[in-house]
Amino acid sequence: MRVPPTLSTVLGNLFKKPATNPFPKSDPVPVPEGFRGKLVYDVEKCVGCRLCITVCPAGVIEYVPEVRKVTFWLGRCTFCAQCVDVCPVNALSMSDEFLLATADKYDDNLRWFHGEEIEEFKRKLEEKKKARESFKKEARKAVESEG
Amino acid sequence: MNLIYATLGFIGVYVYVSLVSLLWEGMDRKLVARMQRRMGPPLLQPFYDFLKLVGKESIIPRDASRFFELAPVLTLATSIALLAYTPLGFEPIFGTKGDVIVFVYLITLMGFFRALGAISSGSPYAQIGAQREMVLIASKEVPMMLALFAVLWRLNGLGVSRPFGMGTFYEHNVWELGTPLSVIGTLILLFVFLLWLSSEIEVGYFDVPEAETELAEGPMVEYSGRHLALFELASAIKIFVSASLVVAVFFPWGVSGYLGLTGVTALVAELLFHTLKVFAVLFAGMSLFRAITGRLRINQAVSTFWTRLFPAAIVGALLLVIDTLGVVA
Repeated sequence: MRVPPTLSTVLGNLFKKPATNPFPKSDPVPVPEGFRGKLVYDVEKCVGCRLCITVCPAGVIEYVPEVRKVTFWLGRCTFCAQCVDVCPVNALSMSDEFLLATADKYDDNLRWFHGEEIEEFKRKLEEKKKARESFKKEARKAVESEG
Repeated sequence: MNLIYATLGFIGVYVYVSLVSLLWEGMDRKLVARMQRRMGPPLLQPFYDFLKLVGKESIIPRDASRFFELAPVLTLATSIALLAYTPLGFEPIFGTKGDVIVFVYLITLMGFFRALGAISSGSPYAQIGAQREMVLIASKEVPMMLALFAVLWRLNGLGVSRPFGMGTFYEHNVWELGTPLSVIGTLILLFVFLLWLSSEIEVGYFDVPEAETELAEGPMVEYSGRHLALFELASAIKIFVSASLVVAVFFPWGVSGYLGLTGVTALVAELLFHTLKVFAVLFAGMSLFRAITGRLRINQAVSTFWTRLFPAAIVGALLLVIDTLGVVA
């Protein structure tokens, strides 16, 4: 029976500080540059080209034809960032956020542009359309009256 | 009246040892964590674990026999009975002459009941664990008994009131012989006892029956809820009792003599000092040993006992005998 070589290491460790990060009490370990966190979607920039749907390996993205935008459910996202790379207008980006645990798989935090937002967007589009039409009508009337 | 006082004292000792042994488990986990540069659980974690287990549902396997539910109770009952014969800084409460046999019997019986519960569970994992437990019991008690009886026989020669009782160690101790041969013999026996302690509480080399990574908890694999809680408490008490034996045999010095205490305060002071010594012995025999060694295979563990510790115990005992009989003068 030899004395195990770990003995001195172990005894030395007793007098050192623990090399741990007590997370909920302290900040998490800082993320590196270019970290692939939660996907961020900018609806306004999106032109509805559907390239992201083509490259997504996990089927996170779905096209909404009425508004020519896409909707996301990040519950399946694998954080591969291929959609970010392929997006021609840079409507997609990766954030630093990674604390995404939730009890509800359809949590609002895991959705981009869904449900009421789509409805609201539709309503806005319609209003714009009406406004445009009424403007056109008025413009036509004005042209007619002027003769 | 005397019996009533003894019973009250016994209950007090049981409550004290339960609390302190669980506290030690918390300290052990903390110490091992610090040795690996972790922070470890809070000091009172074993208490939380115990309470949680008590509150959880206990599942009885369909193939389990009646002993499955009985074994944890019997194990804890044995460990409590063991406390009546354990030297805790003062003479055991029900100590009498020859009670060392009862001590050895009860501490072996605990392992036996554990194996019994495992065999009754109907799980092949538990049964393999039980086999290993029995093989280990058959090997580990032999060097310990030889060493213990040799020491007791030697102390008996100095004239004690209750020969072969656990109280003997507080009348005379092995170091006061002082001759070179006896000191060497005692050191060898101390080595034997420390390794026996590690095997009795199944840490380091001798984590063979439980073997989490290999056998999935071994004998305890089918136990859950309050049955497991009883086993956990019993094994915590066993850790304290085993270390108490080592402390009593090799480090029986008290403090009350130096402090000039008498009566109940002396008992309390001795108990606290004994607890400190137990913690020190457990630090070496449990925490350090657990942190620096891996598990042996069952055949290696058994051969360690028969080819290393048993000869060591024989040599140590012979040195004591030679010293006493004056064969080499």
